[in-house]
Amino acid sequence: MSTKRIPRLTHLQFLVLGLLRGGEQPGRAIREAIAAHGVKRSAPAFYQLMARLERDRLVDGWYEQVTAGDQAVTERRYRLRPSGAKLWAETRDFYSTLARTGSAKLRKGWSDA
Amino acid sequence: MRRTRLARLLGRLLPGTVRADLFEPALHDLYVDAARTGRGTALATLGLFLESWRLAPAEVFAMFVHDVRHALRLLVREPGFTIAAVLTLALGVGANAAVFAVVNAALLRPLPYPDAERILLLQHRDRRTGITKTFVAAGDFADLRARQRSFESLAGFGFGPSTIFTSDEPFNVGVLQATPDLFDVLHVGVPIGRALTPADAAEGAAPVVVLGDEVWREHFASDPSVVGRSIKMGPAMRQVVGVAAPGFRFPANTRTDVIVPMRMPAQAPAQRKNGWTFAVGRLAPGVSMAHALDDLTTISRQMEREHPDQNEGSEYFALTVRDWLVGDTKRALVLLLAAVSLVLLIACVNVANLLVARAVGRRQETAIRVALGAGRSRLVAQWLTESLVLAVVSGAAGVLIARWAIPLLVRLAPAASNLPDPDGIGVDRAVLAFTAGLTLLTTFVFGLAPALGIRMDRAAGALVNPGRVTAGHAARRAASALVVIETALAIVLLTGAGLVLRSFSHLLAVDPGFRAERVLTFDVQLPAERYRQEPARAAFYTRAFDALTHLEGVEAAGTAVVMPLTGNNWTVGFERADRPVPAGQRPPDVGWQAASGGYFTTLQIPLRAGRLFDATDRPGGPPVVIISEAIRDRFYPGEDPVGRKIRGGDGNATIVGVVGNIRRAALTDEPRADLYFPSEMSPQAQASFVVRTSGDPLQSVAAVRAALRAIEPQIVVREVTTLEAIARESMQITRLALSLLAVFAVAALALAAIGIYGVMAHSVRQRTREIGMRVALGATASDILWLVMRHGIAVAGLGAAVGLAAGVAAARSLSALLYATSPGDPLTLAAATAVLLAVALLACYIPARRATRVDPVQTLAAQ
Repeated sequence: MSTKRIPRLTHLQFLVLGLLRGGEQPGRAIREAIAAHGVKRSAPAFYQLMARLERDRLVDGWYEQVTAGDQAVTERRYRLRPSGAKLWAETRDFYSTLARTGSAKLRKGWSDA
Repeated sequence: MRRTRLARLLGRLLPGTVRADLFEPALHDLYVDAARTGRGTALATLGLFLESWRLAPAEVFAMFVHDVRHALRLLVREPGFTIAAVLTLALGVGANAAVFAVVNAALLRPLPYPDAERILLLQHRDRRTGITKTFVAAGDFADLRARQRSFESLAGFGFGPSTIFTSDEPFNVGVLQATPDLFDVLHVGVPIGRALTPADAAEGAAPVVVLGDEVWREHFASDPSVVGRSIKMGPAMRQVVGVAAPGFRFPANTRTDVIVPMRMPAQAPAQRKNGWTFAVGRLAPGVSMAHALDDLTTISRQMEREHPDQNEGSEYFALTVRDWLVGDTKRALVLLLAAVSLVLLIACVNVANLLVARAVGRRQETAIRVALGAGRSRLVAQWLTESLVLAVVSGAAGVLIARWAIPLLVRLAPAASNLPDPDGIGVDRAVLAFTAGLTLLTTFVFGLAPALGIRMDRAAGALVNPGRVTAGHAARRAASALVVIETALAIVLLTGAGLVLRSFSHLLAVDPGFRAERVLTFDVQLPAERYRQEPARAAFYTRAFDALTHLEGVEAAGTAVVMPLTGNNWTVGFERADRPVPAGQRPPDVGWQAASGGYFTTLQIPLRAGRLFDATDRPGGPPVVIISEAIRDRFYPGEDPVGRKIRGGDGNATIVGVVGNIRRAALTDEPRADLYFPSEMSPQAQASFVVRTSGDPLQSVAAVRAALRAIEPQIVVREVTTLEAIARESMQITRLALSLLAVFAVAALALAAIGIYGVMAHSVRQRTREIGMRVALGATASDILWLVMRHGIAVAGLGAAVGLAAGVAAARSLSALLYATSPGDPLTLAAATAVLLAVALLACYIPARRATRVDPVQTLAAQ
């Protein structure tokens, strides 16, 4: 992807994909992590976000049995797909490039004015 | 931790996608928390449920958009399938939209009067002869108007042509002659000037006219000051008192260029049947049609009791103006709409078959989706979205086809179908809405079969052994059932088309009792001021007949009041002078016609006895009549009627001749008893000419017109056509039904053949291994051929049996279009079945032949 084009990831999607770069995680943990960044989402709203990432084939989701307390329960877990990792990297590059070249241009534009 | 009953129940209340993607994972998180903390889940489950519902619309829409994108990608990826399916459906939708456009214009579009469904037209039925007329006798009209309590008011009207003479070229106009209360009945006003008033129709009132909007614009330059001016219309000067509203037409299918007042007697005259009018009324508020019909029946009975000598058997009833306008065409149009929907149904079945075949090919994809957690409802939604996308693309293509087909269909429709504003029929909002509805309907009709065929339990098999993805028994059975349905539908259409074809051939073979070929017909109007006296008119016709018969290529010429095959069924009482009907009784009715002697020779109606009318029959001479054979057979059995006298209005008339029977009203009409009065004795300023020519009659038009202008330069000649064209027009509704049904039947046959071929070819492909095995075990080519054909024949045979039963039932609705053909005509049924089975055999034979060429070595090696 050209770094000149505005990335199609939202800030929140960028954040979620970034969290998954470290490895697979349960949905609950991702939700808590984004809450730490000030993004409070209800559980259904959060899973709506994740379902759309799955539908766009950026992440994979599956159920896995875990033990909580003394009970066996299932939870939804997610991992980043290569396409997701690629899109995240492209988005990061876009903003990096913009931060480098764009600020210079902005400064130039201001001085011309 | 086990899911609670509440969670299961609430989950079922959510759309599949929302449940799977939003509710379920959130619920699992809730259980993890509950397992750790030991807190209850009921309240939180309810909260998750409500939150999921809040998010549902966006989620469902997002899923729909996702599915639409997926479906579009699939359509692009499979161009062969896409073209076949879109073309099939587009033709079906387009044909339906085109027929609907005509049906909408004729039957559904509101007429240009407020509450038009409450405007009724009176009809007269003679119980003794069964003949129905749209006319009301002048005396009956006066009594009906005075006694009825169901209508706001009753107005009389008539219509016909006339000529307006201005400083420019004179021009013909369509005249509506109406009692002034017609405007009240129709609830229409006059925007410029005033409407007609009762004073305009009073005895001795100055002649006035209301101009139609179109004439006012075209010939009077939209000048409002025309009101008050006098114009010459026909023989009289009339003062313009108003201009009608734009688009005003009454009746809705005729041009209303001018409106003039009609005078009807306020009191019933002694001779009640001396004069006729059309009558129209608007139902009074709160009065139902049934009540109005009862009212009319009661008044009819009263008049019958009071005037048995004139009203015996007379009965009045009413139709809505629309039913009157559309007449027999209504049934034909509804029938054609039904037929064309069958074609669409067959097209849907074919596409469903294609989709079922494609679904089998996509079992692996389905299996993967199931393995990834997609539920049945999710898969059904996805399949239906794919069908919807296909239907929408086809619907759009169908609208384009309809745009092209509508003008063609309107041209095919008979003039008598009274389509209001035929030029305005096209793809309008109603047609678009109909097409959109049809598109949605087709989505479900053809999309549901493959969607319902998704077998969750078998999905895993496709994953385990993707190389052997074959149609299961259920899929094969579904495909066969679809072919049975389309074969049955095709038989229904074939039977319908066959029956109408048989009727049409019977109609063509009907002997009308006269020869219509090479006969030119036209109407003339003489300038009234020069032809006020009968001798002047008689002299004109004598000179005209002489001039016309001396023209090169003209063999005979005559005049008549009633043109044959135009549906006219005017009647007159017949009474032998020597056997008068008892006092107080009404003489039986026979057909009425006024014609010249040349009429019989021109139409080659055979003279059976006596003579035709000739120059000796002059105005003021002894009254004479000619009777048809049917009158002779009915009233003079075993006697010679020539020279006998019959009773007439002003004395007795002598029968001077007997002529052959003709079918006067229509080809489908039985030959009736007709009584002919001589035009020579009462020549009128207006008459219909019939001229027999030796060549193409239309080639003689210029010469005929010139010959008549040479006698009377101001003569108006109009409605020039041929008797053959009139005969054709009288059969046009049957011809239209035949053309369209034939097209629909051929389309249905072709679609059914494609369907059978598709299923058989698919079946052969699926059974290649089995066939190879059979060949390896010693099966011969004929064994294999029979193996494949047997299945196709069984399916087509079953479809034919079902279709025949349905066809016979459906054919009853065709009765109105059939002539001398029974709905259960065995020859037609047999022919339809034979044609279908022959096509089905051919469609089976091609894949069967391919099956015989299966190489067992290659096939088994490939396995």
